[in-house]
Order: sequence, then structure tokens, then C-alpha cells
Amino acid sequence: MSMLDNDHKGIWIAFVVLALAPIPVLGSSYYEGILARILLISVLAVALNIVFGQTDQLFLFSGGLAGFGAYGTALLADWLSLSAWITLPLAAILAGGIGLLVSWISAKRNFTVVLIAILTLSLQFVLTEIYVGARDITGGSTGFSYDVLSLESITAVTGLGNKVVVYYLVLILLLVSLLLYVRLINSKYGVAFAALREDELAAESIGIDVDRYKMVAGFLSAFLIGFTGPLIVKEAGYILPSAFSFFAIDVVILIVLIVGGLRTTLGPVFGAVIVVAIEQVLASYASNWRTALFGALLILLFIYFQNGVVVWFRQGLADLDIIDR
Amino acid sequence: MVATSTLIGVTVDGLAYGVVLALLGVSITLVFGLGEVLNLAIGIFAVLTVLAARTAINSGLGLALGLVTALLFIGLVGLVVDRTLLEIVYQSTGEDRILLGIFITLGLDVLLEGTLTNFFPSQYDLPIDISSIQIGEIILTGSSIAIILIGGFILAILLIFLRRTFLGKATRTIFQDERGAQLVGVNIRRIRSLIFVLSTVVAGSAGLIWASGTTVSVGTGFEFTSFALIVSIVGGVRSIGGAVVAGLLLGTVNQFANFFVGSYVATIILFVTAIVALLAKPEVLA
Repeated sequence: MSMLDNDHKGIWIAFVVLALAPIPVLGSSYYEGILARILLISVLAVALNIVFGQTDQLFLFSGGLAGFGAYGTALLADWLSLSAWITLPLAAILAGGIGLLVSWISAKRNFTVVLIAILTLSLQFVLTEIYVGARDITGGSTGFSYDVLSLESITAVTGLGNKVVVYYLVLILLLVSLLLYVRLINSKYGVAFAALREDELAAESIGIDVDRYKMVAGFLSAFLIGFTGPLIVKEAGYILPSAFSFFAIDVVILIVLIVGGLRTTLGPVFGAVIVVAIEQVLASYASNWRTALFGALLILLFIYFQNGVVVWFRQGLADLDIIDR
Repeated sequence: MVATSTLIGVTVDGLAYGVVLALLGVSITLVFGLGEVLNLAIGIFAVLTVLAARTAINSGLGLALGLVTALLFIGLVGLVVDRTLLEIVYQSTGEDRILLGIFITLGLDVLLEGTLTNFFPSQYDLPIDISSIQIGEIILTGSSIAIILIGGFILAILLIFLRRTFLGKATRTIFQDERGAQLVGVNIRRIRSLIFVLSTVVAGSAGLIWASGTTVSVGTGFEFTSFALIVSIVGGVRSIGGAVVAGLLLGTVNQFANFFVGSYVATIILFVTAIVALLAKPEVLA
């Protein structure tokens, strides 16, 4: 596998496009916010692509995990008197630990996909309930201003605004996660993932440690989500439990992943661009209908469009003989 | 120390909530047991019924007729959903069907919730006034007593239907052995439709009796769904009796936790109970 095969080429092209994207709108925090949202959602969808796309473990607590990372980073920094730049990876590792634990229990107890879904959905509600209820430390539903993760040294040197700096940080995170994803699926992990998706029992019988691969996927995804959470609120400048609700995160990234295409490398990015574009179109004259439209989209996508735009687009190009099949 | 009369009052309120949870849990259990579709839209069906009843009553239909109209309406909604969306879901099998079921009912929930918020943005209840009942020192919430009586009656009818009638027996046969049921000539698809419509009406009636005492909003829908899931899990997703017991138990626990430690801890206790139940005996769901 070279660094210049098709998958990598795609990633680098996306990276360059996304790196240039803020330049025309520099200074407009509105457009910077929209662009940042695309990236943040992309990273979350890449994470879901690993655990759900590759290993069929339907995690429905991405919102809870992202919140865990965000609250964890701020609280650990406060309690341990450490810089939030140190506690951010700590909180992400702890979030990864939760993912690992869920995968481990699910594997040991032979949970079906519906059980993992219910288990993680219950965890999502517990976590959200804690973010709202533990007012003393989380600020409850009024939240607090997210001042940790100071970017002053960067903004002072470069003269760039806070939001743009966050944008480029998230872009690096997205690049790393996409490269990690490609590396993963082109290694023995990818082979093992494909085998366990096909037939778990058969995979086990030829010596694949199914439980271990699921746990690795669970950890990586939860870690990435936990890492992204603090950046979501840093971008917004304020932390609120509602930012991490099931409908604000999980439903959105599920749609993103399916629109883009499950198990495609750049699907999460394409999906995020499309979903955020839809949000913006609606925002101008039908913002009340955003939720309803997303619901309809979820239904239609799952019935008619399970392969996503990346596959659909590639097929279209192949039909026109523009690229090889 | 809390007075005994207060504790009795809390217990009655808890049982009332438990009856509502039991009805919702049974609705999830019936559909999942029959066709492996985890209906995440069940809660919004309950809320939709309340909104329909209110609209009907406000348009001058009268209380009784309004409630019946709302139940007929939700049954019709159930039938349409069954004939369109679920028809597609049932065409796939195994894990695919379960996943498709989760996503399509989740999408339906989001669609209904997003649509209804535009027309019903605040809190709604039913214009039913049941005064509280005083027995000596004990003051009982009137609506709680009504919920227990009416909800208990509906549950009893449901259980008798499943135990005694041919349709009920056919339903339970599919629960136990889908292939076997098919071999002895049970029309599985038709029974699935019937039970799905029945489950929406049961969920609808749960919503109606609940709204006799408190207000509901569109947002209550997913809350109902999540509690119904818990009840269904704790009761052992394929057991109707289990769902009833779990509903009553969790409703009471919730009310006591609410009373002693506050609503946020109470909700956490409910979900942790569900997680523990999941971890303790997942084989009943497999």
C-alpha cells in the first residue's frame, strides 16, 4: 500500500480543499462555524464508520461519549490543576475505555446488534441525565463558558481568530482519523473486520480473535468521539448538555454516514458536507422543519439508498466509462 | 420520618405510572416478539393519540367520542405504517431486518416529532377533572386511581385476549416458533399487522390515561419510548407478563426515587436498572 493509492489520493485532495475552504470566508464567524461543523461531524462519522461500519456494533451513545470528553477535559483540568491540553487526551482515553468496556461486555455475552443498540442508548440517557442533573459540576442545563483549551499562543502569533484555529485543529484531527481508518482497513484488521461481519463463527474457527477486534474498534471509535467532544464546545465557546443529546449527535451522524456511504473512506466527509448543506438551506426558510426532514431522510435513506453517495457517484462514473469499475 | 399516609399516596402514584409503563412496555414487547421490529416510535404514537384526542374534543366532539376517535385514528396510523414502512422491513431477514426496523422506526419518530412540534409547541392534557380521594388521613390522587383502574382493565383484557382467543394463541405460537407457526397454517404477516395496530392502540390508550392527570409535550414521546424500552428489557423482551410486572415495579421505584432523591437520580436509577437487567440476562433477548 503506497501513500498515493486511490484512498490516500482522495484523502489528500479532501484535505487540501478543506484547508483552503475558510480562506474566502475568513473573518465571518458564521461561515467559519458552518465549515467547522462539517469537520466535527465528519470526524464523529469516521468513528462510527469504524465501530458500526466495520464491526456491526451499533453504538448509539456518541453524544454521551462526546459530552464525556468535553466535560471530562474541563473537569479534570480543574481537579488536577493541569492544562486542558493534557486532560483532553486523558478524557479521550477514558471515553475510549468506556467504548472498550461496552465492546468487551457485548462480545463476552454474545450481544446481538439490537442489544448493543439498547445498551448504548440506555448509557446515552444516563450520561445526558448526569450532564443535566449534576449541576454542581456541569452547570446543569445552563452550562458554562468553555474557556479551557486556550488558543491564545496560536491566535497571538498568527493573528487568526479563535474559530479558524479550532477549524484547523479539527482538520488535522480529521486527517489523522482518515489516515488511521485507511491504515486499519488495509491491514490485518480490515481482513478480520470483513471476516467477522460475514460470519462471526467462521471467523472464530479460522483463528480470528473476534472479541479482540471488536474491542479495538470500540476503543478507537469511542476515543475519537471523546477527543472530538471538547472541540465541539470549544468551537461554540459554550458547553450545554443539549449539544450532546441523542438527536443532536447520534441521529445526525447516522444520517451523515448513510448518506456518505457506510464503509467508504470519504463517505463521512461527503455525508457531512451534504447534511450541513441541507441544514443551511432549511435554516433560511424552513428551519422549523429541520427535524422532520431529517426523520424522513433517515427512513428514505435506509430504504432506498443504503450504499451512499460515494458508491452511487462512482457507479455513475463507471457507467459513463470515466473510471475503471 | 415520612408519614405512612404519604407513602401510600406515593405508592398509588407509582403504581399508576407503572400501569402506563406496563402498557407501553407490552406494546414494544408484542411487536418485537412477533417480528423482531423494535418500535422506537411507540412513545410518539402515545403522544400523537393525546394530541388527536385534544383536537377532537376541542372541535366539539365531546370527551368520550373524542377519546374513541383518537384511538381509531392512531389505529389507522398504525395500519398505514404497517402496510408501508413495515412491509419493507419484513422483506429483509435476520440482523438486516432488526437494523432496518431500528432505523426506520427511529426515522419515523424523528419525522413525527419534528412535524408535530410545529403544530403543538407546548404542554397538553385532557380536560378531565378527577378530584382527589380522601380516606381518613390518606389523600390519593384521583387521576392515579383512574389510571390504575382503567389501565389495569386494558391490561387484563389484553392478557385474556392472548391466552384465550385463537388469534392470541396464534400470536403466542409465533413468539415461540415462527417456522412452526407457519407450518400449522398461521398467517404470520396478517397477525403481525393486527398486533402492530393493536400495539399502537394500547400505546395510545396509555398516553390518554396518562394525560388525564398530567400534561404531555411532543418531547415526552421519546421519553415514553425510552421508558418502554427499559420495561421491555427488564421484563425480558419476549415476555408479556414480564413486561407487566416490570412496568409496575419500575413505576413504583421511579416514584419513590422521585420522592426521596429527586427526579434526575430517579431517571438514572431507571436506566441503570435497565443496563443491569441487560447484563444479567441477555439470553432472553437473543
